[in-house]
Amino acid sequence: MLIWFLPLFLLFLALGMPVFFGLVAAPGILLWLNGQERDIVLLYRNIYNGMDSFPLMAVPFFMLAGELMNKGGITTRLVEFSQALMGHLRGGLAHVNVLSSILFAGLSGSAVADTSALGSMLIPAMEKQGYTRRFAAAITAASSVIGPIIPPSGIMIIYAYVMGESVAALFLAGIVPGILVGTGLMVMIKLLADKYDFPAASRRYSWRERGDASLKAFFPLMTPVIILGGILLGVFTPTEAAAVAVGYALFIGLFVLKTLRARDLPEILSRAAMTSAVVLLLVGAAMAFKTVVSLSHLPETLAAFILSLSENPLILLFLINILLFVVGMFLDAGPAIIILGPILAPIFIALGVDPVHFAIIMSVNLTVGLATPPMGLVLFVASSVSGERVETIARAILPFLAVEILVIFLITYFPALSLTIPRLTGFVQ
Amino acid sequence: MRALDFPIQILARCNTAILRLGRHLSVIALALMVVIMLLQVFFRYALNNALPWPDEAARFCMLWMTGLMAPLALRHGGFVAIDMFQQMLPRLLATILQLTLWLVALIVLIVAVQIGWDHFNAGWLFKSSSMKIPAGLISERPVRMPLAYSYLSLLLSVCLMISVSVELTMRHVRQLLTGHDPLLDNPVSQRAD
Repeated sequence: MLIWFLPLFLLFLALGMPVFFGLVAAPGILLWLNGQERDIVLLYRNIYNGMDSFPLMAVPFFMLAGELMNKGGITTRLVEFSQALMGHLRGGLAHVNVLSSILFAGLSGSAVADTSALGSMLIPAMEKQGYTRRFAAAITAASSVIGPIIPPSGIMIIYAYVMGESVAALFLAGIVPGILVGTGLMVMIKLLADKYDFPAASRRYSWRERGDASLKAFFPLMTPVIILGGILLGVFTPTEAAAVAVGYALFIGLFVLKTLRARDLPEILSRAAMTSAVVLLLVGAAMAFKTVVSLSHLPETLAAFILSLSENPLILLFLINILLFVVGMFLDAGPAIIILGPILAPIFIALGVDPVHFAIIMSVNLTVGLATPPMGLVLFVASSVSGERVETIARAILPFLAVEILVIFLITYFPALSLTIPRLTGFVQ
Repeated sequence: MRALDFPIQILARCNTAILRLGRHLSVIALALMVVIMLLQVFFRYALNNALPWPDEAARFCMLWMTGLMAPLALRHGGFVAIDMFQQMLPRLLATILQLTLWLVALIVLIVAVQIGWDHFNAGWLFKSSSMKIPAGLISERPVRMPLAYSYLSLLLSVCLMISVSVELTMRHVRQLLTGHDPLLDNPVSQRAD
């Protein structure tokens, strides 16, 4: 009986009920029908307990750090730095776009922030150099999914918390896959650039000019070093690292680069608080949902079904990637991880897939889903930044999506790509 | 229609005022979280003297930041939802569907208040492990803070969400009857308040 909460939840979701209410209403109604009123009380308490968490606090901090860096004009310096390195190549600005996304990913954990920050700057610049607007918007959207794959990453913090994994391990495991996505996109740009004769962005910079650009980008580029270095050396926890990132962004914005003003702060804080509040409430609801998931024995039933399809983990991983990809087309990465993580992860861990490896498969797959139609948050942002229609960008992005799908399968079938760095640093056995 | 305009206006004004206050407090809570966390790092590494309270104090601020900001997000359509199906429906049907969903949400929230009230009251029995109320406020000596003060954040949030849901439900009824509503037609435009 209780197992019907999942179809009911999916129905609510499809009808357009906010995910938060769906996560609470569907199990609540079935518990009530089942006469388990005491467990409904548990639902409320678990929402509270789910939000009352120290590791989770990294979410608002990283959101805030991202907002501060964005507002503080750090993006401009990263783009100039990327241009000095890659601007002279054929298809220069497209490469600059991808490299800037990789660098930006080390400061921010959000694909949306990446698209809006880099898009508003690079799309007009690319258009001026003769790229079509849809291509410029498409490469911006495609490269911004690197944001939540390379650490820090909002969705990995959430995954780690909901599933009880180590944030540090997931962060480290995301580095190679993120760079892989970036490299793949650059290869595709090269192929397209040779075929359509894209322009170079600038002449080749001298090493002296490159040095100047690096110096200017030095402070922003130190952020990932501080965050990851601090966590790796055990100086601080990921949550503290996130707070330090906020302090650092504030310091360089206000005093070093002098691009932030104190009166900008309330608006920045308010935006970060609003986005975080929605996410935190969702995580609380997910923790409540998770209790009902285990009460209902859904994972066991689902596992039996999945194992009846095949017992070969390689085939199952292929199928699960397709499922995740389809889910990602309709749902944002955060909510999708919150809902599916507790249901799917135990099944695959029981099959012998490393928990961190599965976390990366899920995170990367659902993050790429941010750039897929019909419901791709990043596509919407790219559309509003560029003024190009979503459908047009969705068509132009296809070659890049193909690259990203290829990377998803590489990550799936070569666990070493994600697990080597966490293993070398001792975060995964 | 006048009969509906008046209560909506009153409720909307109350919500706007309360949520604006909530937003300011929530901004302060987030700023405090950052300060507290940086203090913790500073004391542990620079002074080699770990403080006992920052962990709990920062979580306290985060709960209140979330509790006070969530109703505002709800009011301005910030809660994640898939609206594809609704967009495919004719307008009348879509409004009826939304109205139904709001009623379900309202029932969820009302049940939550009942449970939340007991949860809050039970919170007087449990004391915080590290946070104290300064001397002079409620007794002569510093006393350990009852957890009810933390629990209140979610209860209050649910109450504010009820107020917001009632306003939005009435707005949907008005939209059903007259065909439009300024906030529902353009939820983002008023996000600044």
